[in-house]
Amino acid sequence: MKAVWVYSESDAVSNEVASAAVDVAKGAGAEVQVLELGAQRPGVFASGGKLLLKGPPSSPTPGAAAEAIARAARELQPIAILTGATRTGREVASRLAAKLRIGCIAEVSKLGADGESIFGERNVFAGKAVARVSCPFPAAATVKVGAYPRLAGGNGGLQEKDVGAVSDPVKVVAREAKSAGAVDLKSAKVIVSAGRGVKKKEDLAILEELAKEMHGALGCSRPLSADLGWLPEEHHIGLTGVTVKPELYLAVGISGQLQHVAGMKDSKVVASINTDKDAPIFQASDYGVVGDLYQVVPAIRKALAARA
Amino acid sequence: MKVAVCVKHAVDETELKLDQGGRPVLGGAAGKMSTFDKNAVEEALRLKSKHQGEVAVFMVGTADSKKTMKEALAMGADRGVLVSADPAAIDTFRTAEVLAAAIRRSGPYDVVICSEGSSDTYSGQVPPMLGELLGVPYVGYARKIEVSGQSAKIERSLEDSVETVESPLPLAVSVVSEINEPRYPTLIQIMQAGKKPIEELAADAVAPAGGYRQVSVPSMSSQPSTRKHVMIEGTPEEAAAKLVDALVKEGVLK
Ligand SMILES: Cc1cc2nc3c(=O)[nH]c(=O)nc-3n(C[C@H](O)[C@H](O)[C@H](O)COP(=O)(O)OP(=O)(O)OC[C@H]3O[C@@H](n4cnc5c(N)ncnc54)[C@H](O)[C@@H]3O)c2cc1C
Ligand SMILES: Nc1ncnc2c1ncn2[C@@H]1O[C@H](COP(=O)(O)O)[C@@H](O)[C@H]1O
Repeated sequence: MKAVWVYSESDAVSNEVASAAVDVAKGAGAEVQVLELGAQRPGVFASGGKLLLKGPPSSPTPGAAAEAIARAARELQPIAILTGATRTGREVASRLAAKLRIGCIAEVSKLGADGESIFGERNVFAGKAVARVSCPFPAAATVKVGAYPRLAGGNGGLQEKDVGAVSDPVKVVAREAKSAGAVDLKSAKVIVSAGRGVKKKEDLAILEELAKEMHGALGCSRPLSADLGWLPEEHHIGLTGVTVKPELYLAVGISGQLQHVAGMKDSKVVASINTDKDAPIFQASDYGVVGDLYQVVPAIRKALAARA
Repeated sequence: MKVAVCVKHAVDETELKLDQGGRPVLGGAAGKMSTFDKNAVEEALRLKSKHQGEVAVFMVGTADSKKTMKEALAMGADRGVLVSADPAAIDTFRTAEVLAAAIRRSGPYDVVICSEGSSDTYSGQVPPMLGELLGVPYVGYARKIEVSGQSAKIERSLEDSVETVESPLPLAVSVVSEINEPRYPTLIQIMQAGKKPIEELAADAVAPAGGYRQVSVPSMSSQPSTRKHVMIEGTPEEAAAKLVDALVKEGVLK
């Protein structure tokens, strides 16, 4: 039977990608197989079960993962190979596509297929537009993280395939966890989000308190995590970070560039605080307060306390 | 040391217009250097200043792209190779294929640098494909690169960790924006950039097309914003009280 393969270095993302693969498989009359490399992991069994590739190490570098999957693909000829659009997933899918000389659609959600092609939707031009993209089979794809629920599991069995030893000239010599971000922004009902309007790292404390008082979580714009390192990467919302849809999104000191708005535009209600009355965030907001966050945020906390 | 840096002339999303049907108007759209490619050029220049050698800029683009090529040369790159093709009409694999062939033609290079993703179509695919097609080790999302002798030590910035890797040269890398602060060219540099050589090539002459089926973009659309746009006035205390009231009424705050 025709197969759609799923691979992610993360079990959670692998289960999301498996959901996307179910839609592709349905359209193409295929079954879904979840790949595992080196050793079995707790990931789900999809309709076509799991395919365990033996030969690569159990936490391969992206280069080794791509080589192992390419060897198996040359022999077993899946119609599509899907990864999560994580930093590792993008590399694995792209390298695979180059090795197999097939097209690769990027950062897609709303995937589907017909007898000949895979298709999906993606943000382009920093989220200003949505493009429908399509590629004839066989094809690769990176699936936007957070776009699909995790697949509960199917009833297929375990198959094994020996692809031989793989190695990568790139050697990992150290790995250090980034400061742990325990928050789950995707499930938070309220998100207070901090931008460069916050002057120094210590000042994030008042926003963290506000988030707590609103029973929500603290997120941020990209510069705060990527450039300043004040918060872990998984706190940053937008095109290159997480996509969120809370009941309430409160943007504090965020200018509202397209790339940021792309990650929060499906929130139910958006409110924002910014000193600049012309800040684009107000165009993406239901409620806007022109003011200094250092005055407005304490005032909001007082108003909340007065209600309690 | 010879460094190749790949720079894209990207659609300027801030200037991009939408037509009445909400579709982006790409014909004649303004372009600019893809945002993070400035970090890629900066890193190439830093490697050159430390290890001597030269920096060559590779670009797949239309005639409009020359403006961005000149900007990269003004920042300090030595020469440019512009392969003509419309980036909007070819996919990531074809882009990588053409870049790889152009780089091979004038290489070998010790380090090939891209950015993690282009600012208009952010896919993060061209750099790993390029590494693969060049047949060299590839390291993505670098936030620090140290070259000594024939090897490099690189810190990769991943979602939840920082990984330190070692790789032999030659290699290809993609960089993240935190790696450096890109320089601004001076007026004199901008004037001198006009004299630096730019080699122009046709894509099909560099790498004949064919042999595989491309990604296509059947349609594009956009959704108008449907927000309420209520501006709340008053002193911070008044505004805060009104905002909290409004959010409670919306049922999003308990
Ligand atoms: C390819 C690409 C991908 C990107 N992806 C993302 C992404 O996923 N997420 C993301 O967020 N960004 C992303 N960016 C970056 C994005 O373009 C913006 O640079 C970024 O969102 C700006 O962050 P900011 O609003 O916090 O900072 P700024 O743009 O500097 O805005 C700070 C705001 O704070 C206001 N302010 C200042 N002082 C105060 C005060 N005391 N009180 C209240 N307000 C104040 C200012 O008026 C200003 O509007 C991406 C960029 C590129 C090129
Ligand atoms: N048309 C192009 N010309 C030169 N370099 C490119 C081109 N397209 C992509 N790149 C390089 O690949 C990186 C990632 O692009 P992308 O895969 O489109 O997200 C860019 O930052 C550039 O370094």
